[in-house]
Amino acid sequence: MDKALYISMTGAKNNMMAQAAHSNNLANANTTGFRADFAQARSMGVYYGDGHPTRAYAMTENPATNFVPGPLIETGRDLDIAIEGEGLIAVQDRAGQEAYTRVGDLSVDANGILRTSTGLPIIGTGGPISIPPDQKIMISNDGIVSVQILGDGPEELAQVDQIKLVRPVWEDIEKGEDGLIRLKDGGIAPVDVNVTVAPGFVEGSNVNTIHEFTEVLSLSRQYEMQLKMMQTVEKNSESSSKLLSQS
Amino acid sequence: MHAALYVSKTGLSAQDKQLSTISNNLANASTVGFKRDRAVFEDLLYQIQRQPGGQTNRDNELPSGLQLGVGVRVAGTNKQFTEGTLQVTEQALDLAIDGRGFLQVLLPNGDTAYTRNGQLQINSDGDLVNSSGLLMEPNINVPEGTNKITIGTDGIVNAYQEGDPNPTQIGQFDLVDFINPSGLQSVGGNLFLETAASGDPINGTPGENGMGEILQGTLENSNVDIVEEMVNMITTQRVYELNSKVVSTADSMLQFITQTL
Repeated sequence: MDKALYISMTGAKNNMMAQAAHSNNLANANTTGFRADFAQARSMGVYYGDGHPTRAYAMTENPATNFVPGPLIETGRDLDIAIEGEGLIAVQDRAGQEAYTRVGDLSVDANGILRTSTGLPIIGTGGPISIPPDQKIMISNDGIVSVQILGDGPEELAQVDQIKLVRPVWEDIEKGEDGLIRLKDGGIAPVDVNVTVAPGFVEGSNVNTIHEFTEVLSLSRQYEMQLKMMQTVEKNSESSSKLLSQS
Repeated sequence: MHAALYVSKTGLSAQDKQLSTISNNLANASTVGFKRDRAVFEDLLYQIQRQPGGQTNRDNELPSGLQLGVGVRVAGTNKQFTEGTLQVTEQALDLAIDGRGFLQVLLPNGDTAYTRNGQLQINSDGDLVNSSGLLMEPNINVPEGTNKITIGTDGIVNAYQEGDPNPTQIGQFDLVDFINPSGLQSVGGNLFLETAASGDPINGTPGENGMGEILQGTLENSNVDIVEEMVNMITTQRVYELNSKVVSTADSMLQFITQTL
């Protein structure tokens, strides 16, 4: 049987994987701070020996994540922050290491630690930020957290800490298995004073639903073509076996 | 089977939960002391199908791998304790808290619940109760023959007796605050319970140490913003539709393979 069958098979299989990547983007079209993943196909040639070089298998891969900023959504909540333009908020991942995120709907836990809505501690100038009992909390444009301590007047604001904001270049960062962003070399990004946040806003997902859905549809048509190819190969081998059985 | 089916399924169920949250908020758009919920979405973990940097042959390695995300989930709902607008009702037993703090209500099992709903009434024993008949904590008894009750901004309750120009103090409301009010557990009836996440209750006198003041003759409206909820409803519906389209596309692909081959 012609090996074209296996080439079509890798094509169909990788179409399905690419669709899984696009459908994950669509499932997260409403997730705060979500960054869409790209998916692309690469041809992997296996040209051994003489003959016509026709054996190129398809391979789907995620070359990168789309770090274009998403829309800002006004909430008016004191602890919601969205990064204006490029930049990332430093958080502590589950293993205690520094990682980065765009998710800025923060909350204060029972011990006064400032965390993201998913429970990761926010990193300040020296580790997690601890908020004293307060009656009002404010986050400034440059990430300085100040509070009005319980019982103090509005004229006595106390600065607690400054949220660590970084801006590594896109080429140096990637999204990990837990959805957090890290430097490719595993290092720690330095503070960038030019990153500003908008208090009272959260950043929506940057998924372009039309684009993702069109991709899913076109991949589905491509998949149908792969199957048609498999059908053709089957017919070819059917007729050749018929010819051979007659002689 | 097709991975996209399961990924889109998580998208559908997350949007479904978001819609339930929105409809509960809208249903309570005019509930006194109601605090709106917000569904918090989180992307699920990613599965590495092919490790970036894997060797393709002795000299070359893959520049990028394939990580497939497995969808989205609702990490939780987050109660938003922004203040609702205040509405003047001129009713002597309507209270609103202007600022932080919660009124305390005694549950039938002896526990204390917390509320921002200050629609009080008097039961047959003369005790102040909330709208579902639960006693306030501390208990305040209104003596017979009272024709006027005043409640000060510091929570002091005075009763005026028939024919007596001087009021008698019959009690004082305390307020309770939490370091993380979003961590309180809602139990319905506009009541909240303390949890490990909310921290311990901090008692205080109204108007002191950062506690809000008690305003008599005023109620705090629901903090649901109808326009915001409607906009959220639109995006939720559209994302739901797109995810269901992916499910039907994946389904027709599987149908195609069974019919073609």
